[in-house]
Amino acid sequence: MTRVSPELAARMKKAEGFDANACFHCGTCTALCPLGYKILPRKLFHDAMLGLEDRVRANIPQIFSCLLCRMCEANCPSGVHITDNIRSLRSLINRQVFGLK
Amino acid sequence: MSAQKIGVFTCHCGGNISDYVDVQKVCDAAAGTEGCALAKTFLFACSDSSQEEMMEAIRTHQLDGVVIASCSPKLHLETFRVMAHRAGLNPHMYTQVNIREQCSWAHRHDMPKASEKAVRLVRAGIARASLSRPLENIRVETLPAVLVIGAGPAGMRAALALSDLGLTVYVVERAAEVGGRIRALGKLFPSGRPGREIVARLRDQIAGRDNIVVYTNAELVEKSGSAGRFAVKVRAGQETISLKVGAIIAATGFAPYAPQPEEFGFGLPAVVTLPEFNELLTTSRECLRVNGRDVRTIAYVYCVGSRQSEGNQYCSRYCCTAAVHAAIQAHEIDPELNQFHLYRDMRAYGRNELIYEEARQKGSLFLRYDGGEPPTVEREGDGLLVRVRDELSGGDSIEIPADLVVLVTGMVATSNQRLLDVLKLPLSAGGFFNEIHPKLRPVETVIDGVFIAGAAQAPKNLAESVASSMAAAANCSAMLLKGHLDRAPLVAKVSAETCVWCGECVKVCPYAGAIVEVERDGKQVADVVPELCKGCGACAAVCPSAAIELEGYTNAQVTAMIDALAAEVVS
Repeated sequence: MTRVSPELAARMKKAEGFDANACFHCGTCTALCPLGYKILPRKLFHDAMLGLEDRVRANIPQIFSCLLCRMCEANCPSGVHITDNIRSLRSLINRQVFGLK
Repeated sequence: MSAQKIGVFTCHCGGNISDYVDVQKVCDAAAGTEGCALAKTFLFACSDSSQEEMMEAIRTHQLDGVVIASCSPKLHLETFRVMAHRAGLNPHMYTQVNIREQCSWAHRHDMPKASEKAVRLVRAGIARASLSRPLENIRVETLPAVLVIGAGPAGMRAALALSDLGLTVYVVERAAEVGGRIRALGKLFPSGRPGREIVARLRDQIAGRDNIVVYTNAELVEKSGSAGRFAVKVRAGQETISLKVGAIIAATGFAPYAPQPEEFGFGLPAVVTLPEFNELLTTSRECLRVNGRDVRTIAYVYCVGSRQSEGNQYCSRYCCTAAVHAAIQAHEIDPELNQFHLYRDMRAYGRNELIYEEARQKGSLFLRYDGGEPPTVEREGDGLLVRVRDELSGGDSIEIPADLVVLVTGMVATSNQRLLDVLKLPLSAGGFFNEIHPKLRPVETVIDGVFIAGAAQAPKNLAESVASSMAAAANCSAMLLKGHLDRAPLVAKVSAETCVWCGECVKVCPYAGAIVEVERDGKQVADVVPELCKGCGACAAVCPSAAIELEGYTNAQVTAMIDALAAEVVS
């Protein structure tokens, strides 16, 4: 059971550079990730947008391991800027979790 | 057998028939049958040159009747009736025998037996044709007026279209005001124009017409007659008005689905249906407030009352788009709102996809639930808690604290038993009015002259409702503007001498009013109303004194056909 945090959901809506609304969950990104990490961008972004804070926290190692190679982004049929989203998430986590400015 | 001269033409159908039926043998057998004056074969009987040749033969040999042994009457009965008519014969002196579907296609493993069956069928056809008599179509003079039941957008728009075509229209509305369901609704997709504005515009247009009469607080209470000439009674308040119309359009609309108590938390404070939410949007400025509380988070539950495993199994079509459209309006009122949509399948089809996309861009979030595991809604503190197993998050259970839950309710059929008793229209599984054919005859019903329009037929959005009402109006006017209707004369006929008025025929007749009791020569007998009879033959079959005959299939004809079928075939 995971609880939605409306506050995090609202923050993600305004987060600079984060926009995954166009994602229709096709899974192309997941299939193409060369690291094979369980980053699963489509699920990760969905969790972030919903404000499922616990699950975003649990994925911190994967979020920071991403190579930003853009393999997923180049092939995304909906044109989601996946690496921008990853950067935006990193920045958010740095501020919220690690207390960096 | 009578002394009629029958021409028998057997078709090869290019090989479709002749590959498995000995066409020459069938032709020879026909030639040797009593009554046959001419027997020929054709490669394609339906081709222009063959038809010319047959017409020439009918004239030269002065044939009284024609039998063509070819394909199913569904394909070419009308073709050959017209051919017979062009050659100067009465079209009902033509008999079609189906030796393709019933012989060559069905028995390709056994050519001799297929050919023998073809011979028997052709002989039966000759027997029928020999006893046929010329029949004239039943002509009904039509009345240039239409009754429209229901003054929602579909009914009003149909009334305007019929009025444009010069027909008189009587509109009957059960409520005190015209407008139907959309009168109470705010902004409607896709244009965003409020329902009451659309209604006001239609109402003003109708008010300017001399040939549209609107009765409110009114109901249809009686209907008699048939297509082209109906007599109806309308009760408006205390008054009962008798009207004569040529056609009827049933545009009685729908009812919004009313959730059961506790269905998705229905009954809890701040759990509302889609129409109730629409009303809230109409009255809200800057922020949404429910029960004195500001709304920060909304959860929408889709498919409430639609796609149920038992009950309403259909999809209500309009609700997905209506819900995302409502979410955009909510966002415009308060951009800080968090909106979670719990859907089964997003069916914002066609251009409505753009409305769905706009809702996503404006921050609406979508979670997909499985129909077998629906979300639950319960009270939590002052607010509500929605639990859903989200398939897009890997099937995990997710809790959403919400201030407002909108149940995205679908459409159900209006239940008006009194109207059903009067119109006698068949209903589909969902309780909506049924059309004859969903693709090819979408607004016609099994009752000739009674059409259906709008959401009375099935859940429809406003655009689809109006499109179907235009189709119904076009169908009505195509029927009425000609001034008369020709109906096939293959109807039942009662012999007053033999009839003892036992009433068995009335019991089995599926068409109300087609058989009536009359007095003939001092005794009560049955009589057939030709305009209402569809020629099904049920009455003729049950009549214990054989007093009823079906034109075109008289007892003498059927008996002669059975004898011909049973006669020995010498190979």
